[in-house]
Amino acid sequence: MSQKLVQDQDLGVQVVGEPRFRRFRGSARDLLIQSGPLIALFLLAAYLASATPYFMTESNLVNVARRTSVLVIFAIGQTFVILTGGIDLSVGATAALAASISAVTMTQQVNVLGIKFGPVGFVEGLAIALVVGLGAGLLNGLLVTRGRIPDFIATLGTLEVFRGAALLVTGGLPVPSYYSKAEKARNYLPKEVVSIGSGDWLGIPIAAVIALSVTLLGWVILRYTAFGRSIFAVGGNREAARVSGIKIDRTKIGVYVVSALLAALAGFVLTGRLNSANALMAGEENLNSIASVVIGGTNLFGGEGGVFGSIIGALTIGVIGNGLNLLNVSDFYQRIIQGTIIVVVVIFDQWRRRRFGV
Amino acid sequence: METRTPLLRMERIDKSFPGVHALDHVDFDLYEGEVHILLGENGAGKSTLMKILSGSLPADSGRIIIQGEEIRHHSPERASKLGIGMVYQEFSLVPSLTVAENIFLGDPPRNRAGIVRWGELYRRARESLATLGVDIDPRARVGNLSVAEQQLTEIARILAKQPRILLLDEPTSALSDTEVDRLFEIIRRLQSRGVGIIYISHRLDEVSRIGTRVTVMRDGRVIGTLPVEQADIDTLIKMMVGRRLSEQYPKTLSVQAGQPLLRVENLCAEPFLRNLSFEVRTGEIVGIFGLMGAGQAELAQALFGLLPVTAGQIYLNGQPVKIRRPTEAIQHGIGLLLRDRKASLVPMQALPANITLANISQLSFMGPLNLRSEERIATRYVQELTIRPPILKRPVKFLSGGNQQKVCLARWLASGARVLIVDEPTRGIDVGAKAEVFALLDQLAAQQGVGIIMISSEMPELLAMADRILVMRQGKFSASYQRGEATQELLLRSAS
Repeated sequence: MSQKLVQDQDLGVQVVGEPRFRRFRGSARDLLIQSGPLIALFLLAAYLASATPYFMTESNLVNVARRTSVLVIFAIGQTFVILTGGIDLSVGATAALAASISAVTMTQQVNVLGIKFGPVGFVEGLAIALVVGLGAGLLNGLLVTRGRIPDFIATLGTLEVFRGAALLVTGGLPVPSYYSKAEKARNYLPKEVVSIGSGDWLGIPIAAVIALSVTLLGWVILRYTAFGRSIFAVGGNREAARVSGIKIDRTKIGVYVVSALLAALAGFVLTGRLNSANALMAGEENLNSIASVVIGGTNLFGGEGGVFGSIIGALTIGVIGNGLNLLNVSDFYQRIIQGTIIVVVVIFDQWRRRRFGV
Repeated sequence: METRTPLLRMERIDKSFPGVHALDHVDFDLYEGEVHILLGENGAGKSTLMKILSGSLPADSGRIIIQGEEIRHHSPERASKLGIGMVYQEFSLVPSLTVAENIFLGDPPRNRAGIVRWGELYRRARESLATLGVDIDPRARVGNLSVAEQQLTEIARILAKQPRILLLDEPTSALSDTEVDRLFEIIRRLQSRGVGIIYISHRLDEVSRIGTRVTVMRDGRVIGTLPVEQADIDTLIKMMVGRRLSEQYPKTLSVQAGQPLLRVENLCAEPFLRNLSFEVRTGEIVGIFGLMGAGQAELAQALFGLLPVTAGQIYLNGQPVKIRRPTEAIQHGIGLLLRDRKASLVPMQALPANITLANISQLSFMGPLNLRSEERIATRYVQELTIRPPILKRPVKFLSGGNQQKVCLARWLASGARVLIVDEPTRGIDVGAKAEVFALLDQLAAQQGVGIIMISSEMPELLAMADRILVMRQGKFSASYQRGEATQELLLRSAS
């Protein structure tokens, strides 16, 4: 076929439009442009290392990793949603609800429709948290697709609903609680829960191992499955996805389920770290997870980006918080500085996109 | 002419995007009262040059001189102050506002307190529409207007600013013949007032009708500037594509249409389509002609599962099939090349992902992708369809219109479509790319036995390429012609 199309150039005139095997100027330059967020993180770390001797100590770095792990898990789920052009404002509330329900069942006997069970162990507790996440994700996904409500509104609504439900389940008290009136109760969480939140494995926080595994799994799904490709297609051009037969509703529901499942997992890990769950936990994780995704270079309108950027984004937020603590900056200033840095990073990123067309 | 100072001079304008030298030291000038036509294939650099002139893109180097004065720190605001008005191919109208509000967008007539004078606004809008000689209600919402009316509103909007230099980017692509006549009248009137007009077009016949001089661009370079008297169509085509176009419509005539591939009986999709029956055989190109809104686009959508069918039956290879969703259409071997390329491509994704997009929908949801085979498929079609530049990892948004169209076609080749519906397959692509698309369609039909339904409003295309032409009017077929029977008059008479 190629023969035929090029044939009619038996010319007296100069051939134009011949295939030109031009490349971008050097892949080193590409890499430099594309890894802007990573460079920003390195510069930040370098500054902190020079500004305070404590930053580079092993115990501090392990601490940063442990604290950031929960945010990473949230951010990976959020990445899936944002890649389709959506946004999940309910991740914090989903985490709190899943953690509350699972912590309650792990610490006391509960009575669901006349069936009494519990207190359950670690595995059942984790399963319950994930089931709650699955339900929350399906609800969000159905509202957005079948209910035809904008992502922003749907998840803003469920955010309140989930928080309210979590308050109901816990009675507004931290779990485990000494005030529990349940028949059979214990005032401690299974030790495995605590160890995934604050334990180490070969010197690495278990939470960080979980966060890394989640990231890898997310990367594999996005790159190597039809679901992943559908996510990019729906976010990049919904209409094109539709006329190419991509199942848009299923993709949308899928990303909300992924986001809520990971939120539930994050809530469970956070419960372990705090050795307690409560209905108002993970209050800042909504905005921090969105900020992580955006700092990581994922396009807020969908179609471009990925999970590794989001890890870098989450680490940036974690390192900023840690650094400001080490530098003894008051919490009031910390908020101002964090907000400013997020905006500046994104301004830089937008400029980079325009300038280099990445 | 050479003794006058030009209204506009662009000297040695240079512009590169990553991987593309879009403009290579381009010189361009424009005198008062002149219509300077800018011709070139897609990707030749016309639009880039105009974007630099209108201040929305910075040039890497070169000078812009307007009435003897060099412009530095160019910007869209600056361009507007200098009297440069641009009518873009894609409209810059706000659909939710009225025609009048759009015409005076950003600068409505106000009283001293800064309050908008609505009466004045509508009166002046009506006046400026009347000068254009069009009958559009200034209070109508732009979103409710037809494409042609929006185009005219856009032109009225730019003219309301009384530009000295007017850029028109393919202004006639959406207009009917009478509207085109009226637009040309307006252009001549502006010309006599001393406005300099830069007119970008694909339509070669417009050159002699309206132009004073014509500049041909190719590959980011100016190939030449000619007075219109010296610019006959053959010369222009040669300059544009750099080769002789011996075959604009390569059609293999010896092909015998084979087995019926697709048969449609009494297809209805209320209120657009009523009782349509026809069949497409292997190796056959069935042309469908109709005036705007006669139901051609809806027919394509109904066959592809994008529009619910209310009655009737579709048979593929003699078997009755139900097509409720695009996935099912793709599964049955139907492909649809949409009228609007923007609606078919995922702009930031690279070639392989775009070419294999329809195949993805046939995989199970969590099914694994084979990236290496995707790359192989993409490489194959990049070579077969000569998609340029042949860089697999490059996002398709950086390709020219003609190459994007080839990517869309490649998608349906990759999905193994046996019935290919193409809706205005050459809309907005240049002469060279058109010939390539036709060659490809012909080859699919003649050599691979694909049945093609070709929807088009370009009668010469249909007359040259189709084995049969069906004419649509108000959602029904009003006539059917075998190859050679039809003429442009016959088609028009059956369509209206």
